[in-house]
Amino acid sequence: MLHWLGKGLTTGIKSSAYPASPDKNPGVTPGRPVATRMGPDMSQFVADRCPGHCFTPRANGVDVDYRTCILCNRCRRDTPAVVHWEEGYEWGVQMSAQSVHERLNSAFGRSLHIRFVDAGACGACMSEARLLNNPYYNMHRLGFFTTATPRQADILLVAGPLSDAMREPLRQTYDAMPEPKRVVAMGVCAISGGIFGKSFASAGGIAECIPVDVVVSGCPPPPLAILHGLLLVVNRVPPSSLASALDAESGP
Amino acid sequence: MNAGNFFNLFLSLGVLGLAACIVRKDRLRTIVITVLALLQSLALVACGILIQIHQTPIHVELWRLGPVNLSLYLTPLGSLFAVITAVVFASCYSFAAASHETKAGTERRANRTFLALFQLFYIAIILVIAAGDVLTFAFWWEVVSGLIYGLVLFEQANVRSVRAAYSALAMSEVGSLAGIVGLLILAACSGHTAFAAIAATKTGPGETARWLIFLLTFYGFGVKAGLVPVNQWLPDTHTVAPRSLSPVLSGATLNLGIYAIFLVNMKLAPVTEVGPGIVALIIGGLGAIIGIVYAATQTDLKRALAHSSIENMGIVTAGIGAGFIFWQTGHTVLAGMAFVAALYHMTNHSFYKALLFLGAGGIEASTGTHDLNKLGGLSRRMPAMAFLFLVGTLSISAVPPFNGFVSEWLTLQSVLRSVELSSRSVRLCFVLTGALLALAAGLALTCFLMIYASGFLGMAHSDAAQEARGAPRSAVWGMGALAILCLLLGIGPTYVIPSLDRVVSPITHTQTAEALVPNFFHVTRESPGHLNPGFVSDFHDLGAQVGHRFLPGRGLVVLHQGGKSNPVVFAMSTAYTLVVLILLVIFAYVIFHGLTRAREAKRSNAWAGGLPRLLPQMTYNFTGLSAPVRVIFETVFKPLRERTIETVGGHFRTSIRVEERQEHILDRVLTRPILAGLLWVANHFRKMHRGQVNVYAAYVLLSLLVVLLIGVGGF
Repeated sequence: MLHWLGKGLTTGIKSSAYPASPDKNPGVTPGRPVATRMGPDMSQFVADRCPGHCFTPRANGVDVDYRTCILCNRCRRDTPAVVHWEEGYEWGVQMSAQSVHERLNSAFGRSLHIRFVDAGACGACMSEARLLNNPYYNMHRLGFFTTATPRQADILLVAGPLSDAMREPLRQTYDAMPEPKRVVAMGVCAISGGIFGKSFASAGGIAECIPVDVVVSGCPPPPLAILHGLLLVVNRVPPSSLASALDAESGP
Repeated sequence: MNAGNFFNLFLSLGVLGLAACIVRKDRLRTIVITVLALLQSLALVACGILIQIHQTPIHVELWRLGPVNLSLYLTPLGSLFAVITAVVFASCYSFAAASHETKAGTERRANRTFLALFQLFYIAIILVIAAGDVLTFAFWWEVVSGLIYGLVLFEQANVRSVRAAYSALAMSEVGSLAGIVGLLILAACSGHTAFAAIAATKTGPGETARWLIFLLTFYGFGVKAGLVPVNQWLPDTHTVAPRSLSPVLSGATLNLGIYAIFLVNMKLAPVTEVGPGIVALIIGGLGAIIGIVYAATQTDLKRALAHSSIENMGIVTAGIGAGFIFWQTGHTVLAGMAFVAALYHMTNHSFYKALLFLGAGGIEASTGTHDLNKLGGLSRRMPAMAFLFLVGTLSISAVPPFNGFVSEWLTLQSVLRSVELSSRSVRLCFVLTGALLALAAGLALTCFLMIYASGFLGMAHSDAAQEARGAPRSAVWGMGALAILCLLLGIGPTYVIPSLDRVVSPITHTQTAEALVPNFFHVTRESPGHLNPGFVSDFHDLGAQVGHRFLPGRGLVVLHQGGKSNPVVFAMSTAYTLVVLILLVIFAYVIFHGLTRAREAKRSNAWAGGLPRLLPQMTYNFTGLSAPVRVIFETVFKPLRERTIETVGGHFRTSIRVEERQEHILDRVLTRPILAGLLWVANHFRKMHRGQVNVYAAYVLLSLLVVLLIGVGGF
């Protein structure tokens, strides 16, 4: 058993350094499209081709709305007009000024317990969230812990478009949490319904049921993006934005 | 009136009670026999107290049968047992009478017969205690055994109850036989049958005879007390016994075994060496641990209580064993302490176990079951019963300020005093027993918290528990009386120890009460009496004299003084503890309210894992609660598990069935090998039996030859 200690010491720290310094390792993010300059016909073509309808065509290019982008790569693959992609992962956004709770930040900022709820997700978001517990992303180093019961949870991390069957359980879970509490919606399904959209069986986003404080776009968001969303709850990182827009005055 | 008159009053009221069983009207009969039994018990308690005060036994010559004198002889020791029995019967009688009122589907005559037998049972137990010679003792002992058999079988005659009652009868008969043979050897050695005459005989039996008598009577009469390894009948019997019988079966008859051990080893043939003490000590320790380990995993409430009786009797036996050893090594004060602790614990066990069994009976009466996995949430249906059951639970778990704490603490302390002994091997026995007793005490708390939690808290696990009627009032009255006694015995050890010492001191010839209860109430700093002045002033500063103006008695502190190096070996005062406890609760309440007044409490539904509502199946039942105990002690239980998996086409599992069977460790380690050995021997003898006439004729011839040879040879 003692060789664990030696092995640990010789291996050293392999965990990601984020948020102290940016993580440049390959594969930590799939990237996401950004607003790109292009001709008017091309921008219309790109916007029509997008299954999530997340591009707004303009005279000088396209704007991106991350609330529906499912990172399908269709805007840069097999197309005459390639949309640029960025390599970042800081995709969390606060929904309102009250999203940061002062006491949650000061008293419990380094000990936050998270309850996961799968509100009808495909499994991809949960698969990414699970990676937060592995030695590389290791959310415990930042003071985040998972808990099995909402009675002990500070943060509710929800994935999925909120299927009809999960509406009541989600409501109950939220009610069962003690104050102060914050909700993080991860993945575009939880934000807007994603590819499931809004239908008789799907509410199209968890904001229909409970108040959302922080959203993390992506389909699925990579672990570092989820971590960014969690850090946003306690205001330890600057927020991102839900859209990428071109400057109005610049030409094509 | 003197004690004898009260005893006669008891007997005549008993006969009257027997006659009252013929009253046809149920309600009237219940009232009449309950009142008669209360008066009867009152007379017996008065008789016992008078005997205690005057220290003069009742002696009644019955009649002469040739050379044998039949007599009654109620000694101070016996009167203690009689008083305990009287209290237990007084509190259980109304429940027994009310349980046997004629309801739809029950037979009127059967109920009346049961009540008559019940009264007879009471009288028989008292007469065992009051028996003055070997024959009277043996006769009433047999009557008690027979009545247990009959009363257990009274209500239900299915395979389980017949088997249980029969095994109880068989074990008890074998035990009685052994015990009575032991007593007869003793009688033969001294030439008398009367107990007083045997005790007065100066020349006791020889060394071998002494051991024989000890072992025969210890195990023989120990069957009644549920000593290891002759206790398997106890849980089986309690599971099937009528609910009105269990309280007295546990509260009164178990004591008979202890009484017999006291009688034989302290009066008739006082032990002369440490050997018997070591046997009793180790058997007691083993009984305590085995009893409580099994109690903690029984889903049947009455079965669990019965296993816990084995535990408590183990503690009593260990105390007696420790007393024997101290007595034989000349530490009379310590011996007195151990005997007082044992008697104290026996008294406490009678009271709280009768209380708990009354509770189990009340639960059974209102829900129809005593399976803990089918109960739950009863504190809302029967709050008074739940509160009283909680008192019993805390008492048996040795939580101050209730009585179990005092006696278990005294027992453990007296076991710890083994440092005074010189022999290293004896000290080792003490240490091991002390460890077993301590472990048993911890497990008892676990066990009874689980029992209370799964029976009274949480959600109802069955429709019967959901729709339970209120607890029967007859049970609640008895439980209330016993609960008050549990509290009084818990906070007043300084009053109980001197009266128990009156029983013990004639035997040990020392005043244990003087040593254990310092006279703090009648000394002052200026005139400390025979106490050390520094001692008095120290304890005055600690508050040991609080209450000396309005309280009688010697004080409220139990204290054992040691030598120069350790002036106070141990000290405690449950009465002061109670006051401090109450103050602490008030203090905590005030603080809590002061701190939380500003905040509002958030109320929401119980968390049900997101399901529409919480179902009983989702909450803990007794099996779930006791799982840790079962896992930790798996080597003791050694459950046999069988897994059967049903599949379709060898691939798709349709059902997995796990069956688990348990065999009691004593059955596994002791009974089964003995049985297997006997069967093996019998199997070999079977080969002799060929079923041919000429072979048998040859056997006859052979045995005749052997007899003739022996006769001729003059062997």
